[in-house]
Amino acid sequence: MTLRRVAVTGLGVVAPLGASVEELWKNLVAGRSGVHRLPASISQGLRSPIGASVSFDGKNHFEPPRLRLLDRVSQMALVAARQAIVDSRVDFAAEKRERCGVFVGTSMGGAETTEEGYHTLYAQQSDRIKPYSVLNAMANAPAAWIGIDHGLYGPMLTYSTACSSSAVALGEAARRIQHGDVDVMLAGGAEAPLVVGVLRAWDAMKTLATEDAHDPSTSCRPFAATRTGLVLGEGAAFVVLEDWSHAFARGAIIHAELTGYGLTSDVAHITRPTIEGQAKSMQSALFAANLAPEAIDYINAHGTATSQNDAVETAAIKVVFGERAHTIPVSSTKSMHGHLLGAAGALEFVITTLSLARGVVPPTMHLNVPDPACDLDYVSGHARAARLQTAMSNSFAFGGTNAVLILKAVPVANSA
Amino acid sequence: MSTLDTLVDILTRDYCVAREQITAEATLETLGLDSLSVLELMFKIEDRYKVKITDDPPTDLLTVSDVVRYIDSLLPGNSATRNLNQLEASTDT
Repeated sequence: MTLRRVAVTGLGVVAPLGASVEELWKNLVAGRSGVHRLPASISQGLRSPIGASVSFDGKNHFEPPRLRLLDRVSQMALVAARQAIVDSRVDFAAEKRERCGVFVGTSMGGAETTEEGYHTLYAQQSDRIKPYSVLNAMANAPAAWIGIDHGLYGPMLTYSTACSSSAVALGEAARRIQHGDVDVMLAGGAEAPLVVGVLRAWDAMKTLATEDAHDPSTSCRPFAATRTGLVLGEGAAFVVLEDWSHAFARGAIIHAELTGYGLTSDVAHITRPTIEGQAKSMQSALFAANLAPEAIDYINAHGTATSQNDAVETAAIKVVFGERAHTIPVSSTKSMHGHLLGAAGALEFVITTLSLARGVVPPTMHLNVPDPACDLDYVSGHARAARLQTAMSNSFAFGGTNAVLILKAVPVANSA
Repeated sequence: MSTLDTLVDILTRDYCVAREQITAEATLETLGLDSLSVLELMFKIEDRYKVKITDDPPTDLLTVSDVVRYIDSLLPGNSATRNLNQLEASTDT
């Protein structure tokens, strides 16, 4: 069976560095950080009161009756998904709607709603739980609302594999297109974890970065000897994925081609990553894309800035790419936008797409003190112009689900 | 503020219902309130009138006049008739 090709035709983001693709890109290339000290109302009691929040107010996008039905995670998802649809210029009214679907990745779901419910119950000692609580908090709410808003009668699924959730959503959506089940898929991720209960839970794991005493915005330092952990971020990122012939026939602008998706599991420990698991997911994606390791020009790393991940990911890249590992640019944009958990994979896929289309590798910031265990070319400090044909985006996760996506640049004739 | 005025205020402000849509016989459903919205509406009524609704609201709260009557039944004294007359007068104009 010949697999169909998958075109990336739409991009949308609501992210810490920008609530639009252009704003995000401009800030990434400039090396700006979206990490900052969080308001005391949510960060009180945290050892490290920092995060990467989005300047986003649902009131600017939804009327009150609608807003009550939407947790922040769904609000951001709907706005980012709409951006991607507008960018793609797809007209669902003109499509066979049962051949259009939506796959979403999220880790914590409607955390704000869950928190409000517990606050009502335990802090206020009240039984007035909002009637909409279940509908707002359920993990599949973002996918459901996107499907309802845009009339997508095809598959509607939600993936929750912690930090690889949305990379899985994109990869699985691409497979549906490759196998001919659907023509157009909205795929992405959304996460809104910046509420007291979730922040405190992450704090308790001791995986969060220590706040930099002089400049909180530099606290996330992937691959540096001085890295102290991840910084939680919020936001949503969506792409429109489309059968190549379908996109071509309607004259769509194609940003990139999604050519490979690798999925493996560590099956070792609930948090500790393995070199083998990560390496095999990269190899699996290369196999799916029918590429040799030599073909990869850029790796957007998972690069969380935890002690464990960055050393293991570096070692895994060396297993896959051998000596050439040292000459491939590898960057962790989490140094700037933080870790969006379930939305991270989709956001970084969007960034990797822009990187290919625009010939610029975004930097890893705040890597001032190298770690001997992390000795690759991390594009430290400054963005770099580069001719890129093929790029890889890594997403690894607590629980051990490793997802890797490979993208190919589109010849200028088809692209923007 | 009469019961009716209060209800109109809640419906227009929190549920974005247009004032001219609100008539005595308009059903909550046609005003865009589903069953969960009606449950939520009860919380708002509790807050406005500082009353505690202990039982589930009656299942036949279908129209605006039903809700006005129900609210008034929760309050000391009974002003339902006055409120409904006022509603009819205001929707005539």
